[in-house]
Amino acid sequence: MAALFKKDWFGLLIVVIVSGLAIAVLKPAFLSPFNLYVLMVSISYMLIIALAQMIIIAIGQMNLSVGAIGGLVAISFSGLMEVQQVSVPVAVLIGLIIGMLCGFLNGYITVRSGISAFIITLATLYIFKGINLGITEAEPFYNIPETVKNFGNAKIGNTPIPFLIIIPIIITFLMWIFMNRTETGRHMLAYGNSVQSAELIGISSSKVVITAHVISGFLAAIAGMLVVCRLQLGTPNIGDSWLLPSFAAPVIGGAILAGGKVDVIATSLGVLIVAIISQALVIFKIDPFFVQIFLGVMILLAVFVNRYREYKQEARRKIFSSE
Amino acid sequence: MNKKIPNFIYTNQFGLLCLVLIFTLIFSTSTDGFTSRFNIFALSRVIAIDIMIGLAMMVVILTGGLNLALGAIGVCAAMFGGWCMEVLGIPIIPSILLMLGMGSFLGWINGIITVKTGVHSFVVTLATMSIYFGFMTMLTEAEAFRRLPELFTDFGSAKLFNKYVSPLLLVSVATCFALFYLFRFTDIGRKLIAAGANPEAAELSGISVNRMFIYCHMLSGFLGALAAILLTTRIGAAIPSMAGQLGMDWLLPAFLAPVIGGTLLSGGKLSVFGTMLGAVLVTLLTNGLYLLDVGEFWIRFFLGIILLLAVLLDRTREYFTLKSVIVS
Amino acid sequence: MNEFCLEISSANKSFPGVKALDQATFQLRKASIHALLGENGAGKSTLIKIITGVHKQDSGKLIINGKEETLNNPNDATKFGISVVHQERNLIRRFSVGENLMLNNMPKTALGLIDYNEIAIQSKKWLKILDLDIDPNTLVSDLTVAKMQLCEIAKALSLKAKILLLDEPTSSLSPQESKILFSLLKKIVREEGVSIVFVSHKLEEVFNICDDVTVLRDGQNACTSEDIKNLDRQKLVRLMIGRDEQIVKSTRKNQNTKDTILALKNVKTELGHKNINLELNRSEIIGLYGLVGAGRTELMKCLIGQDKITDGEVIINGKKVTINSPKSALEKFKIGYISEDRKKEGLILIHNVLDNTSITVWSQIKKAIGFVSDGMISKKVDPYISQLEVKTPSNYQLISNLSGGNQQKISVAKWLAAGTDILIIDEPTVGIDIKTKAYLHELIIKLADDGTSIILISSDMPEMISLADKIIVMNNFQMNGIVENNHDYDSVSSKIMEYIHT
Repeated sequence: MAALFKKDWFGLLIVVIVSGLAIAVLKPAFLSPFNLYVLMVSISYMLIIALAQMIIIAIGQMNLSVGAIGGLVAISFSGLMEVQQVSVPVAVLIGLIIGMLCGFLNGYITVRSGISAFIITLATLYIFKGINLGITEAEPFYNIPETVKNFGNAKIGNTPIPFLIIIPIIITFLMWIFMNRTETGRHMLAYGNSVQSAELIGISSSKVVITAHVISGFLAAIAGMLVVCRLQLGTPNIGDSWLLPSFAAPVIGGAILAGGKVDVIATSLGVLIVAIISQALVIFKIDPFFVQIFLGVMILLAVFVNRYREYKQEARRKIFSSE
Repeated sequence: MNKKIPNFIYTNQFGLLCLVLIFTLIFSTSTDGFTSRFNIFALSRVIAIDIMIGLAMMVVILTGGLNLALGAIGVCAAMFGGWCMEVLGIPIIPSILLMLGMGSFLGWINGIITVKTGVHSFVVTLATMSIYFGFMTMLTEAEAFRRLPELFTDFGSAKLFNKYVSPLLLVSVATCFALFYLFRFTDIGRKLIAAGANPEAAELSGISVNRMFIYCHMLSGFLGALAAILLTTRIGAAIPSMAGQLGMDWLLPAFLAPVIGGTLLSGGKLSVFGTMLGAVLVTLLTNGLYLLDVGEFWIRFFLGIILLLAVLLDRTREYFTLKSVIVS
Repeated sequence: MNEFCLEISSANKSFPGVKALDQATFQLRKASIHALLGENGAGKSTLIKIITGVHKQDSGKLIINGKEETLNNPNDATKFGISVVHQERNLIRRFSVGENLMLNNMPKTALGLIDYNEIAIQSKKWLKILDLDIDPNTLVSDLTVAKMQLCEIAKALSLKAKILLLDEPTSSLSPQESKILFSLLKKIVREEGVSIVFVSHKLEEVFNICDDVTVLRDGQNACTSEDIKNLDRQKLVRLMIGRDEQIVKSTRKNQNTKDTILALKNVKTELGHKNINLELNRSEIIGLYGLVGAGRTELMKCLIGQDKITDGEVIINGKKVTINSPKSALEKFKIGYISEDRKKEGLILIHNVLDNTSITVWSQIKKAIGFVSDGMISKKVDPYISQLEVKTPSNYQLISNLSGGNQQKISVAKWLAAGTDILIIDEPTVGIDIKTKAYLHELIIKLADDGTSIILISSDMPEMISLADKIIVMNNFQMNGIVENNHDYDSVSSKIMEYIHT
C-alpha cells in the first residue's frame, strides 16, 4: 500500500474514483448500463490515441499527424473493403501497414533533416489529410462488411462492456511492458531524458526516433479502424478532432513535453478522467461546448501541477545535498 | 559600411520574388482566367488575409515559440465584433478597436501563462485554443452574426485600381510596413528580436525578456484579430466556423508564410517582407493548382509537400551558411 | 615496448584567432593517475576534447595502446574504453542507479524482457567495487551530487572503461566526499588497472593522488609527464604560471578616492551566499578570486537582480536600494555585467556587430515613438568599436564570424557605450589571444582611472594581481578574506592561497 502511495499516478487514481463516485451519487443514471457502455466505447479509442501521442512525447517530440494517420487508415480500411472487396483481415493488415509507413515517414524525415518533429508532422498532417480527401473526395464509405459492424456493436455476454474495449486493454498492457520492460522502450525514455547522454551511451538516435514514430503510426491506425467499427462507416473526417485529446491525457497523466517522463498507467488514468468528466457533463446536460473549455482547463491545471511538483522535488533535493 | 543593403540578390526574399514571378508567368500562360480581373481581385483578398495570419504567427515564432490558439483568437475577436455591432449597435470604428483589444487580451493571457509557468507555448496555446473556442461557441451558441453594418461589409467587397485589387490587401501591406518599421526602427522592436535570439544574453544586457515575450504574444493576438476583421468584412458575416474546427484551419497558412519567408523557428530572426512574399507564393500556388484542375481535395496535399520542401531547403541553406562561417 | 595506454604527440589545434594547442604532448602510463594542469585557457580543455573525440587535432598523433587511431566522435572514444566522468551529466536522472549502470547491456529474462532483479544484482557488483552503499533501485535524481559522480565512475567501469577523465571532480564536493573519491580512485587504479587523467585547480589534491604531471601553458608543454616526486608545490606553480609572466606594474592614477559608490552589508542570497561584506570606491578595481564554484559569478548575478538577495543591505551612493532585474541595474543604477560565457550570455551570435554593441543603449538614444535608426546607433557606438580596435569587415558582420578576441571586445564595447558607473567583468580573458589580453588589461586600468568602479572576477592569478587594487578571496559562497594588493606576485599569491584554504 505504501508503495502504491508513492506512485505518481496515485493522485490521478484518487481523482478517478472520487469523481466517479461523486457523479454516481449525484446522478445514479451515470451507472446505467447504457451510459457505462458509451463511456467505455469512447475510452476504448481515446486510450489508443493517447498512447500514440504518448510514445512520441516520451522521446521529447510531438506528433501532430496522429489524427491524419488515423483518418487515412480509416478510409483506406473501409475503402478497401467496400470498393476493392478485400477481406477483413487483409484490410486490417494493409491498414496497419499504412499507419506504420506514415509513422516511418515522420520519423525518417525528422531524423534525417534534424528539423523539429512539430513542423515535419504539421506538413505530413496536411499530406496525409490531402491524400485522404483526394481519395474520398470528402465522401464517406458506407458499405462496411457486417462482421466489422457486428464487432463494433458487440458486447461481452450480458454485460454493458463493449467487445471493442478488449483491444485497447491488450494494447495498453503491451505498451506498459514495452515502456517498462524492454530495452528499446527504456532507451526511448533515456533518449527523451537527455539526447546527449543517450548518444554517449551508444543509443542510436535514428533507431529510437524512427521506432517511436512507427509505433505511433501503428497505434493511430488501430484507433482509426476502431472508430470505423464504432461509427459503422468510414468518413474522411475521422481523426480531425484527435489533436487536443491526444495531448490532454498524457499531459494530465504528468507527462513532460520535454521528454523522458511518460507513464502508461498515468496516461490511461488521464484518459479515464477526461472520459468520465466529459460524460458527466453530458449527463448533467451541460453545454457540450463546455467539454472543450474543460479539456483546455485540465491541460493548464496539469501543467501547473507538474510545475509545482517539480519545484517541490527540486527543493527537496537541495535540502538533501546540503546535509 | 556600404554593405548595409546586403547584396539583395543573395537573399531569401529575392529567391521568393523570383518564384512568385515565375509561377505567375506559368499560371498566366497555362491556365484560363488566372489574369482575369475577377481572379486577381479574389487573389488579392485571400492574400491579404494569409499575410496577416502569417505575420501573427511570425511574431510568436520570433520568441522561439508558437501560437496554436491563433485561429481561436481570430474567431473570438470576429464574434465579439459581430456581437458589438449587431447586438449592441456599437459604431464600426469603436467595434474594430474593441476587436483588436480582445485579440490582444487573449494573446496577453497566452503570454503571461507561458512566461509564468516556463512551459513551452505549444502546450499553453493548445489548452487556450480549446478554452477560447469553447467559450466562444458557448456564448454565441454557434450562431453567426450576419447583419453587420453595410459600411463594414462593403469594405470587404470594395474594388480598387480599376477593380483589380481589394482594399484588404492595402491594409495588409500597410501592416507589413508598420511591422517592418517596428522591428527595424524602434527600440522595442529591436529588443523583441534580441530577446527571441538569446534570452539569457538579452536579460543580462538589461532587457526584460519576460515582458518582451508577453508583448510578442499580445502582438500576435492583435494581428490575429486584424486578420479576423479582414475575413469578416470579406465574408460579410462573423461565423464561428470561419477558421474551421478550433480555428485550426489557420495553422497551415500561419506556419507556411513565415517558414518559407525565412523566419528562424528557433527564434531571433524574422523577415516581415519574406513572410509577405511567402503568403503571396502560397496563395498563388493554391490558386494556380485550382485553376489547373488538380482537384480541390489534393490542394492540401500539395500545401503539405510545399511546407516540407520549404523547411528542407531552409535546412540545406542553413547548413551551407554554417559551413561557410566555419570555413571563414 | 609501450607502457603508455594513451599518447598524444606534437598535437596542434587552432581555432579562429587562437592557437589552442601548440606541439602539445601527453603520455598516460597504464594504471596511473596523471594530472593535467594549466591555467584557464592554457589548452587543457582542448586536449581533453581531442582525447574524447569531440575535436580533431589539426596535426599530430593520437596513439591508443600503441596504435595510431582517429576519433571522429565521442562514440569512437567510448569504443576505445575512454570515458569522461562528468558531475551528473551522463546519468538518466529519472532512472534508477542500477538501470543507469546497465543501460547498454541490460540482462533479460527468457522472454526477452528486462530482468530488474538481475540488474540489481549485477549493478551491485560495480557499486561494490567502489564501496558504494547505494540501493540500485534508488532514483538517480534522489542522490547527492557526490554520489552521482561516484555512480558515473561506476558506470564508466561497467562500460569497461580503461581510461577515465575527471575534470574538476571535486569542485562541488565537500572535503570528506573528496577524500572518499580519492581513495576509490586509487583503488580502481590498483585493482582494475584503470588509468586516470585528473584535471584540477587544487594543487594539494594533485600531490595527494597523482603519479605524473603534465602542465600546459599557452597551448605548449610547460612540462611533460613529469614524475610528481621531482616536483614541489612551488615548482608546479612556477610551471603553470611561468616566470616570464609579466605582472603589469599598475600605473593607476587616482586609485585612492574614498568615495564609496557601492557597499554590500551582511548580504545573504537565495543561492546560498552568507555574510557578504564589500565596499567599492569610485575608480577602484576590486578582484574576486576563488576556485570554480566558489560563488563569485553567482554573487554578481544576485547583485544585478538576476537572482534574489534575501537579506542584508545593498547601498549605492549612500542610499539603500533594491535591484530586482538586470534592466533596473542598468537603467537606474548604471551597473553593467560582462559575462564569462560570452557565447551563451554575452552576445547574440546570430546578430551583427552593430546590434550586439548597441543592445544596451537603444532605450537611451531612442527618439519620439521609440525611433531608433542604424545611423543613430552607429553614431553612438562607432567610437567604442574603433576605440577598441575591433577587427570586423563592417558593422553588419555577424558576431559568429568574428574571432574570440574581437567577440570579447564587442561584449566590452556594449557596456562602454552604455556608460556604466560600476562594471562587473567576469573572466575577461579566457580563451583569448595574448595580444588582446594585454590590450584588455590596459583598457580595464584606463576605465578605472577615468572613474568607473570595477569588480573583476578572474581565476587567472597574474591577471588578478596586475589589475586589482584589493582582492577578495571567496570559497564556498562566503568571503574568506581581503588581500590588499601591492602587486608583488609572490607575497600576494601566497596570501591568497592561505585564505582559500581557511
